[in-house]
Amino acid sequence: MRAPVTDLPIVLDDVSFSAGGVTILEHISLALVAGSPTVLIGPNGAGKTTLLRLVMGLIPPARGRVTWGGREQAASTHRAIVFQRPTMLRRSAAGNVRYALAAAGVPRARRAAHALELCALVGLTGLERRPARKLSGGEQQRLALARALAKEPQILLLDEPTASLDPAATKAIEDVIRKVAASGIKVVMSTHDLGEAKRLAGEIVLVHRGRVIERGPAESFFSAPKTEEARRFITGELLV
Amino acid sequence: MPTRRSLFAVVATITLVAAAPALAQDKSIVVASTTSTQDSGLFGHILPLFKAKTGIAVKVVAQGTGQALDTGRRGDADVLFVHAKAQEEKFVADGFGVKRYPVMYNDFVLIGPKSDPAGIKGMTDVAEALKAIKSKGAPFISRGDRSGTHIAELDLWKAAGIDIGKEKGPWYKEIGQGMGAALNTASAANAYVLADRGTWLSFKNRGDLDILVAGDKHLFNQYGVMLVNPEKHPHVKKALGQAFIDWLVSPEGQKAITDYKINGQELFFPNANAPGA
Repeated sequence: MRAPVTDLPIVLDDVSFSAGGVTILEHISLALVAGSPTVLIGPNGAGKTTLLRLVMGLIPPARGRVTWGGREQAASTHRAIVFQRPTMLRRSAAGNVRYALAAAGVPRARRAAHALELCALVGLTGLERRPARKLSGGEQQRLALARALAKEPQILLLDEPTASLDPAATKAIEDVIRKVAASGIKVVMSTHDLGEAKRLAGEIVLVHRGRVIERGPAESFFSAPKTEEARRFITGELLV
Repeated sequence: MPTRRSLFAVVATITLVAAAPALAQDKSIVVASTTSTQDSGLFGHILPLFKAKTGIAVKVVAQGTGQALDTGRRGDADVLFVHAKAQEEKFVADGFGVKRYPVMYNDFVLIGPKSDPAGIKGMTDVAEALKAIKSKGAPFISRGDRSGTHIAELDLWKAAGIDIGKEKGPWYKEIGQGMGAALNTASAANAYVLADRGTWLSFKNRGDLDILVAGDKHLFNQYGVMLVNPEKHPHVKKALGQAFIDWLVSPEGQKAITDYKINGQELFFPNANAPGA
């Protein structure tokens, strides 16, 4: 029996990326493997979003290589990304999910029921018919997660999924992320909220000024950081 | 009144003088090599010594051995410096290389997590160790890039009586990348991986990994160097390329290799004069 195609591990080898003459990422060597969530932390402008875009395959590296499951050219069929401010279609919440299911090739006859399941998974039961653009920020974020999950991705990339959300909405999103990770989907997310990183991460990657400063299991990262930058970031100092 | 002959002589002289800086600037060669010679830091140590001696700059294209040999077949390099003796000899036999010179050896080591789910720590028979890894379905990272290390890994599975192409399962991950990337992946996944000792010694992101199996003679890793055949590719810089090869196998080059150490430990062992190497 043939092994199913997988995008994992995602391996970045000495990857650099520039835009408009500005170096955004350099000498990134990182491997993302199956298992607990990998959380990218670091100050604003560190390069976390660009790193997620590279991992998703939306942008090619200027130098170095990215491979997905050993393949250099890998369609994004098994990966999904949710950006910080997701765009809502002019449809209901369930309509947004049905659209994503159609794009994922799910047969029409199954879309309605599956959309309801996904809305329930992300805690939008009762809001399926509401126009997506009338949902709150946290609800829209959860809807964006449901759309991403319509693809049945192996890897889910989340760019600051709880930025500017209130604590209740943040908890709701984090609960969904935990459920998704527990189902076997590899979650790679960015946050500048250390508390969130502590709550969700199995692995931490600290990014600063376009470089990976330190990476490792979350527990040892927070209890015994190896680098000065990590120590300062953990104690709340501004990394400039 | 200048004659036609004297005018020609002046023009020729100007042309030669104008071309001289361009010719002098082009004292460089392209060496297609494995990632281990680069990732271990060896090239960073020896190439400046070669340039200081000869003025020849070496531009390295670091690939797996298989890709490096393809690069040589296309004539996109002047010299190959790789580690798969059988393939090197075939490269020469097929007319793509002039002559194979042995240069140095190091060894492969079987790296794995200290927790060692396959229970292989301290084994002296790498084939038995691989059987144990497969039997446990313990995660194993393969370079999967037709490099010398990848070829050596496949040979070791074969020696263990395992047709890894047919018998691999989800525990076996091929990443299609170099040694540094494979070690990073093994570190992230707490997996086993075959590595050359040189790259392992200079690898910083070890996580929970350590050398678990070493010393089996099947882990011996010989490097060879060859000039790409200028009869196939006339643009090959024959003299400069041969100068690099001659320096590598000379007492000076061999000493440069021996002198490269990490934490006082020698990574590569010169053996240009070893019979049968």
